[in-house]
Amino acid sequence: MQLKNQKLSIKSYLDLSQLLKEYRGSHEENRSFALKHKKLQKAPTKLLLKWLERHSFKIRGELNSKKYLEYLSSFDSIMGILFFIMGFFVGLGLLSYNGQAPVNIIYYLLIAMVLPIFSMSVSLFTMFSHGRVANFFTMLFPLHWIEKILIHIPFRKKIENFKPPFSFEFSKWMFIERIHLFSLLFSIGLLLSLVLMVVATDIAFGWSTTLQISADSFHSFISSIAILWRDMFPSAVPSLELVELSHYFRLGEKLDISMVHNADKLGAWWKFLAMTTVIYAIGLRFIFLIFSKDMLQKQLEREFLLLDGVKGILREFHTPFVSTQAPKAEKHLKIEEKKEKKTTITIDEKLYESILGWNFSADEIALANDSRGIKALTIWAVGGSNTYAQDLQIIKNMSGIVFLYVKSWEPPTMDFIDLLEMLIENKKVKKIQIYPLGTIGKHYKNNDSDVDVWIKKIDSVKSDKVWIVYNGK
Amino acid sequence: MGNKIIDDYPKFAVVGHPNKGKSSIVSSLALDDSVQIGNTPGTTQVKRGFPLKVDGKIIYELFDTPGFQRARRILAWLEENRPISADKRADVIRKFIYEFRDDKRFKDEIELLEPIMDGAGIIYVVDASKPYGPEYEIEMEILRWAGQPSMAILNLIGDEDYRDDWKRALGQYFRLVRTFNPLKAKFNDHIELLESMAQLKEEWTKSIKTAIKILQDLQQQKIEKSVDAIVKGTIKTLSYVHSKRIKSKKATKEEEKSLKERYKKELIRYEKSLEKEIADIWNHRTINKIDNLSALDNIALFSKESASIFGLSQKELIVTGASAGAIGGLGVDLAFGGGTFLLGSIIGGVVGGIGAMKGFENLYEVKLLGQKFGKRELSIGPMKNINFPYIFLGRILYHASIIANRSHAARDTIELEDKSSYIGKIIDANMRKKLEEVHEKLREGKSPKEESMVKYREVILDAFIKLL
Repeated sequence: MQLKNQKLSIKSYLDLSQLLKEYRGSHEENRSFALKHKKLQKAPTKLLLKWLERHSFKIRGELNSKKYLEYLSSFDSIMGILFFIMGFFVGLGLLSYNGQAPVNIIYYLLIAMVLPIFSMSVSLFTMFSHGRVANFFTMLFPLHWIEKILIHIPFRKKIENFKPPFSFEFSKWMFIERIHLFSLLFSIGLLLSLVLMVVATDIAFGWSTTLQISADSFHSFISSIAILWRDMFPSAVPSLELVELSHYFRLGEKLDISMVHNADKLGAWWKFLAMTTVIYAIGLRFIFLIFSKDMLQKQLEREFLLLDGVKGILREFHTPFVSTQAPKAEKHLKIEEKKEKKTTITIDEKLYESILGWNFSADEIALANDSRGIKALTIWAVGGSNTYAQDLQIIKNMSGIVFLYVKSWEPPTMDFIDLLEMLIENKKVKKIQIYPLGTIGKHYKNNDSDVDVWIKKIDSVKSDKVWIVYNGK
Repeated sequence: MGNKIIDDYPKFAVVGHPNKGKSSIVSSLALDDSVQIGNTPGTTQVKRGFPLKVDGKIIYELFDTPGFQRARRILAWLEENRPISADKRADVIRKFIYEFRDDKRFKDEIELLEPIMDGAGIIYVVDASKPYGPEYEIEMEILRWAGQPSMAILNLIGDEDYRDDWKRALGQYFRLVRTFNPLKAKFNDHIELLESMAQLKEEWTKSIKTAIKILQDLQQQKIEKSVDAIVKGTIKTLSYVHSKRIKSKKATKEEEKSLKERYKKELIRYEKSLEKEIADIWNHRTINKIDNLSALDNIALFSKESASIFGLSQKELIVTGASAGAIGGLGVDLAFGGGTFLLGSIIGGVVGGIGAMKGFENLYEVKLLGQKFGKRELSIGPMKNINFPYIFLGRILYHASIIANRSHAARDTIELEDKSSYIGKIIDANMRKKLEEVHEKLREGKSPKEESMVKYREVILDAFIKLL
């Protein structure tokens, strides 16, 4: 569902809204996208459109925009044709000349000028009002009620389950734009019927009113209407003579004699009527249509940036992506929680031939012996600042039961395991008792978790010679 | 050995004895809770780089490394190959790496020495809650041979404190010695440590200062994102309406009960999803995988305990209810041009206050909709209870603050520290007034005004910052 070279339209608005419900991208992806389109950094709408173009294939299922725009175009086409036909037939009706009384131009002016100006004025109020006030003005338009009735048209079913995310303001501008479009089509139909009637029939135009209006006053009124084209098309401005000639009074079946004598001149009104339609009903309406289209586009741009999720994506576009984590996932070691305490024993001797202290000084070993009530014939400090060669020499001289103090809080390193393996390999050594001591601050009392570390490690050595002294437990 | 291309960003290798909290420190500094941390030594088997990248550009890189295993053997080898002058010592270490690269015995040491020989500064980690021992001097001596800028970190894993002993020893080997507890470290501690690292080498100062600025911005972004999520989630929760179609003319008690249950469940689900979103913002992704990790898991959203800890006190509730009622009454007064002598506000205030007290237990208003059209729907929501928004906000702010303050090295469960009233401490009467403006609109099923939402967000932001 790739969308190419998109411009901001209702389609892109609906597509983005649909996409954001399914996909928003990560900060990293969005920032890297924005960096690839640096030129668009200051044009958020264009950047978002590019982003939409890039990710639109991620929209699952049918595009809502497709359904909605199909509905909208069907609706607009039907309504457009209807308004055009209506305009055409209204024109035919207004211009139908039975040869007995002239066609009263005042009716035509009402439809071709007064009504459009009124409708455009109401639309102006609608444009510049908001909320309930704007809602009230929209209700003055027949289109509002036609839409309400046409809600039941069959093709509306297509969008039955889809509610476009438009705001009231946006819907208002859509409505105004359509009002002007349909009115324009109505006026074109009207103009077409005028041209057709003028070509196909010989119409005698006249003007008649119950009000006491003189030909002079009416001429001034007509001239003021024609002010916009007076200089360009002077022939489309009725003369005072024509106005006087075409003034008629309904007196039964009889026509003014002077009118009958000047019947050929009465048709000259058509140019004025055509120009009135072109300027007021079509030209002015066209300007309103263009303006409402422009306002609709601006509203669309505003709402495009207000779609749920857009603010976050724009923030991600502009905020540098900071990563602090390792690029590769760590392979976690499987840590066995099972404790195998078969290697543990309690202190069963009080006098040892040799006592070793891993990373303890001889003084520290003596202190620990005193505290634990243990005696030894020889005391040896291993590890610590001893060299490996010195330790090797000490181990060679060991025999019988070797009691080995270790710091419980320091986990066994491979250096220790090397020493232990040397002890195991020494055939004179029968048993190795490892005693993990706690700190002096804790009166040598070790804690279970530290001892567990030792137990696990010693288990892995798999030697019957090695035992852990487990604090007397 | 060839010329190696040296990257121009600072690198730091976190090294030390096994099980002294190297990974915890890296996890905390890299804001990454995926690092394996355990009591079992040797969980880190290979070096692992944690670069701080901005738009792909590396500002600095931390290396987590395995602990020393056979330090004595290595120092012995180095001594055997001791050069005539000190400036050649680093070359001897390079030679060691070269010669023993495939020797399994020295796998860990090679892993930890490699980044150092590639130019990384040394961060030597010790557990200062345990006594100092001369065996550490072997490791420190090897590191001294590397000739790289170095500092030591005193990590206090246990409850004893031997920092003075350690400082005396470490001071002889390292330019800087700092205390840093990765489990308790807050953002400012993190920044202070980085400032210390910046002092290690003149050429690194600029990069580290940049990194500090980046991290401060990142912290601010996370705060803003969390507040946005909290505001959005709260509004969504408070305005939620649950409806169900019913067949008969009147809803049965079972139907009402089941609707209430569904409604409650949905709000609980919203809270959980908000909690997850916040954990993701702060990059605490593993938290969501652990059951009953948060203290909130044991205190249900709709429980009395939750109301007493996170909600308003009875007094605050009456004041809030009264002021909400008074606002409504004020509308009546204004409609009559003040001719009511503010009677509307007074009556509204009294009714609101009493209503708030009564409404403490009553969360729901079940409505039957669409009777005229034959399609009958039972509907519940939006939330009518005056206290509920504060309970929800209190809980989520509590959760967010715990997550934001939690070190990425922490793997323990979260305990509820203080069970006294929570919301009153962070949201004063003035702030509550601004919140109530929005809550009232939501209770009426209306959308709050844009400017009210801006104020609402500001209050949440202030409350959240207070907790950090």
